[in-house]
Amino acid sequence: MAEINIDRVWKYYGKTVAVRDLTLNCADGEFLSVLGPSGCGKSSTLRMLAGLEHITAGEIRFAGKRVNDLPPKDRDIAMVFENYALYPHRTVYNNIANALRLRRMPQAEIDKRVRRAAEMLEIGHLLDRRPHELSGGQKQRVAIGRAIVREPQLFLFDEPIAHLDAKLRAHMRGELKHLQRTLGTSMIYVTHDQLEALSMADKIAVMHNGVLQQYGTPADIYNHPVNEWVAGFVGEPPMNFVDCELAGAGGDICVTHPSFSVPVTPEQRARLSDTTAGPVRLGIRPDDVTVAMERGPETPIEAKVFITEPIGGDMLVDTQLADGRRLLVRTKPGFSGRAGDTCWLGFNTSRWHLFSSADGRAYF
Amino acid sequence: MSAVTDAGEFAGALADRPAERGADWGAFTVTHEPATFNRPWSNRFYWVMMLPAIILLACISLYPFFWLIYMSLHSVGEMGQIEGWNDFRNYTRLINDKEFLNGWWLLIKYSAMCMVLEVIIGVFLAVVLNGSRFEKVLVTLFLMPMMMAPVIAGTVWYFLYNGTFGWYHWLFQSLGILDAKSILGDPSTAMFGIVLVDVWQWTPLITLITLAGLKRVPQDQAEANLVDGAGPVKNFLQITLPNLYPFLLIAILLRFMDNFRFIDAILVLTGGGPADATKILPVYLFDVTFSFFKLDRGSAIAFTLLLVTIILGLLLVRVFEDPSQKRAATAAGA
Amino acid sequence: MASREIVQYRSPLRTAYGIFAVVFLAAYLIWSLLPLFIMFVSSIKDLLEAFQLPAVGDWGNAIPTFFNFTPTFAHYENLFVRENFGVYLQNSLIAAAGSAAISVVLGAMTAYGLSRLEFRFKKDLFFWIISTRMAPVVAVIVPLWAIFRGLDLVGTLPGLIIAYTTFNLPFAIWILKGFFDNVPYAIEEAAMCDGCTRLQALREILPLVAPGVGAFLVLCILFAWNDYLFASIIGSGGAKTLPAATRGLVQPQNIQWGSIMAAGVVTTVPMMFLGLLIRRYLVAGLTMGAVRE
Repeated sequence: MAEINIDRVWKYYGKTVAVRDLTLNCADGEFLSVLGPSGCGKSSTLRMLAGLEHITAGEIRFAGKRVNDLPPKDRDIAMVFENYALYPHRTVYNNIANALRLRRMPQAEIDKRVRRAAEMLEIGHLLDRRPHELSGGQKQRVAIGRAIVREPQLFLFDEPIAHLDAKLRAHMRGELKHLQRTLGTSMIYVTHDQLEALSMADKIAVMHNGVLQQYGTPADIYNHPVNEWVAGFVGEPPMNFVDCELAGAGGDICVTHPSFSVPVTPEQRARLSDTTAGPVRLGIRPDDVTVAMERGPETPIEAKVFITEPIGGDMLVDTQLADGRRLLVRTKPGFSGRAGDTCWLGFNTSRWHLFSSADGRAYF
Repeated sequence: MSAVTDAGEFAGALADRPAERGADWGAFTVTHEPATFNRPWSNRFYWVMMLPAIILLACISLYPFFWLIYMSLHSVGEMGQIEGWNDFRNYTRLINDKEFLNGWWLLIKYSAMCMVLEVIIGVFLAVVLNGSRFEKVLVTLFLMPMMMAPVIAGTVWYFLYNGTFGWYHWLFQSLGILDAKSILGDPSTAMFGIVLVDVWQWTPLITLITLAGLKRVPQDQAEANLVDGAGPVKNFLQITLPNLYPFLLIAILLRFMDNFRFIDAILVLTGGGPADATKILPVYLFDVTFSFFKLDRGSAIAFTLLLVTIILGLLLVRVFEDPSQKRAATAAGA
Repeated sequence: MASREIVQYRSPLRTAYGIFAVVFLAAYLIWSLLPLFIMFVSSIKDLLEAFQLPAVGDWGNAIPTFFNFTPTFAHYENLFVRENFGVYLQNSLIAAAGSAAISVVLGAMTAYGLSRLEFRFKKDLFFWIISTRMAPVVAVIVPLWAIFRGLDLVGTLPGLIIAYTTFNLPFAIWILKGFFDNVPYAIEEAAMCDGCTRLQALREILPLVAPGVGAFLVLCILFAWNDYLFASIIGSGGAKTLPAATRGLVQPQNIQWGSIMAAGVVTTVPMMFLGLLIRRYLVAGLTMGAVRE
C-alpha cells in the first residue's frame, strides 16, 4: 500500500482536453472520492491511474515511483467498472478467480480467497452462476469481489453503484465504506452523485471541465465551498443564490437586497477587502434559512410562500422575495403556511456564503 | 487593505450583473497549456495484428490495380508481355467502340430491369410474409436459390429454357406468352431470360432485408397512426414505407454492385449473345480479354468498370455510415 | 423487436387479402423451388426421360410426363467414376476452406485492431479494404492472372486460395470489425486490470465473438465454393473446382443433362446445408453487415 500522487496531469483526446493540470494526492489507506458532473474528467483521471489511458502530460506516481508507462497489469491496482465488465462466459467463481490464476497462485489459496471474498459480499451461493443470470446488484458485488480478492495496493471504482436502484444504492454506500475501512486499502472512487461522495469518502476532489475545483474533507466541501460552482453542485436540495449588494451601514457591512439588509459577522467582515465593493452573490443552504409565519427578531425578512413540499421528516418551503427571487427553505413539517401567505425569513449568518459576482470565488 | 466601511465607496462600482448564469458559472478554469508532453504509448500490438492482412491485401488488390492501369496504358501481347507505350490508344479507341458503349447501356438496362422486378416482388413478398404463420419455414425455403452457385443457377436455367426439351420453355409457350423458337436464342427475349434468372435467385435477398426492416418499424408510430384513423394501406404508405427506406437503399445498392460483379450465369446462359443482345459490359470485358486476349484493351475497359464500382462503393459506404441510416438499419440489431 | 401485434379487425377486404396472400405465397414457393426440384429430379432420370415434354398447351399431361421415369443414380456414378468429380470436390473443399481459414484468421486480427485503435486515415484504409471486396471479379482478374502466371500460381490450389482471399479477406475484416465493435472494451480493460497482457485480454473476448466468427467462416466457404470466374481462369488446368467442372460438362455437341444436373446437385446441396446452419447470420453476411435480423 502506498501514497498515490497525481502530478500536473493533463489528458487530451485529440484536440479536446479532458483533464487540465490536475494535482491530487491520495494518502495510504485513504478513501478519496472524485466528484463531478459527467464530462468533468473524473473518469479519464481514473483510467489514467489504472493505466488504461495514456497520460498526455504530467506524471502519476505510486509510492514515489513513476507509473506513466506501466501497463495495468503491472500497477497492482484493481478496478470496478461502471457496467461491471464481468466475463460473460465465465462463472462467478471464475470471474473472481481469474486475476489470481493469472498470478499463478496455488489453487488452494485461490479457493480460500475467492470463498472469503464471496462470503464478505454475501454472494457465496452464486458462485456457479454466470453473469447473465445475476441481478444488477449481484453483478456489482461480483465486480467488487473480483477487485478485492486481489488485495491490490489501490482500488479504483468508476461509478460502481450508479446503475442500481435508489434503495440498493443507499444500502451499498454503507457496505462499500465498511469494506474499505475493513480492508484498509486506498480507494479512489469516481462518482457524479454528491451524496455518495459526502457519505463515504475521507477526502473529496471536486472536478469540473477537467479542472480540480476543490479538494478537502466532505465537511470542508460542504461547509466551505471555494466557489459558487462547488457550492451549487454539492448539497441537496441545492444552495440558494441571491444577487445582492454589499453596503456599509452604521459601521457594519450589510448584504442588502430589496427585501433585506443583513450585516455580516465580524469574522466574515475580516475576510472582505475593499475590492469586494459592488455586487455580490449571497449563497445560503435551505437548512440555514428559518421560516415563520410571524415576524420576529430571528425572522425579519418578508416573503411569500410560493409552494410547500412535505417530504416526510421535513418540509420544503419555496418562498418568493419581493423582487420575485425564489428561496428554498427546509423546515419542520409543522409549518402551517399555504401558497400565497406572507411569511418571514431569517438567515443563519454564520453559515451563509458570499461569492464574487465577477468570478464566483467565495469570500467566505 | 481595509474592509469596506462606507456605503459611499460602493457608488459606481456596480458591475453589469449577468442575469442568468451558465452551468459553468463560478467554476475555476485553467487557461495555460502543459509545458511538456509525455511520449505517446506504442500501438505496436495493434499494428502487428493488422499488418499481415494489410500487406496481403496490398499484394492482391493494390498491386494488381496499378498493374491494370499500367497495362491499360501500353500495348500488351496475348500472354501479358508489355510491348510499349501507346499514347492512350486503349482509351481513345473505347470512345468509338460500339460494343463498349452498348455494353454500358445493356448493363444499365439489365440492372434496372432486375432491380425493379426484385424490389417490387421482394417487398411485396416480405409484407405478405411478415407475421404470417409460416414465416420462418417459408423464408428458409425461399433462401435456397441464393445458396446456389450463380454458374449452376445459369446452367439449370439454360436447361429449363432449352427450346426442345426445357420445361420452362414449354411452360411459357403453353401460357401463350412466348412465341419465339427459344427464349435465349431470340434477341428480343434473351435479355428477359437472363433477368428472370437473376430475379429468381436474388429476390429473396430483398425480401430478407425488407423483413428485417419491417420488424423494426416502430410499433408506436403505427399505433398512433391507426388511432388517428389510418387504414392498413395508408398505414403502410405513411409509416412502414418511410421506415423501410434505408433498408431498401442498402438492398438496391448491394444488388446493383452484384450485377456488376457476377456474370457467371450470363456466361452460361447466352455468353453475351444472341447478336450481342445480352453483352453487358462485364461480359464484353470477359470476351475481349479471354476470347480475344486483347489484354491492353481489356485493362482499359476494366479500369472504367472499376471506377464506376468505386463510386458506387463510396455511395454504399456513405449509406452504411450515415448515422441516421445506421441507426435505422442496425438499431437493436445485436 | 416488434413483439406486440396490432389488433386486426375482421372485414371482407381483410379476408380477401388473406386469401390473396396464401395464393401469392404458394405461387412464389412453386416459382422459387421448381427449378431446384427439376434439377434434382432430372439428375435421377436417364437421358431420354429427361428429354420428354408434353405438347404445347397440353397441361393435363405435364405432371404424368414429368414423373414418368425410373430413378437411376447412373449420372452420379458417372461423375465420380469417369469424370473425376472426386478430385474436383476435393479441390473445391481445399480452396474454399483454405481461403476461408486464412481470411477469417487474418481478418479477425485486423478487424480487432481496426475496432480498438484510432488513427489517421483509418476511414481511407477501411474504404480501400471494402472496395477491394466490391470490385468486379472480371475486372481484377486480368492483372491477377498476369501476376499469377509470372509466379506459376495459375492452375494451382494455392493460387486459387489466394484469389479467393481477394474477396473473402476484405469481407471478413468488414464483418468482424462489426463484431468486435459490439464487444464492450471494458471487458478487455477489466482483464488487463486483472493482470492480462493485451494478447491475453483479446483471448478473453474471443469466446464472445466465436459464434459469429464461425458463422462467417462458413459464409466465406460459401462465397469461395460458389465462385466460377476465378476457378475457370486462375484454376484452369490443375485446380478445377465443382462449379467450373459442372460448367465444363455443358458442351454444344454432347449435352449430358443428367450428369450436369447431378453435378449441380453435388455442388449445391452442401451449400444449402451450410446456409441452413448459419441461417441466423445470413442477412448480415449477405448485406455486408449493414442489416441484421
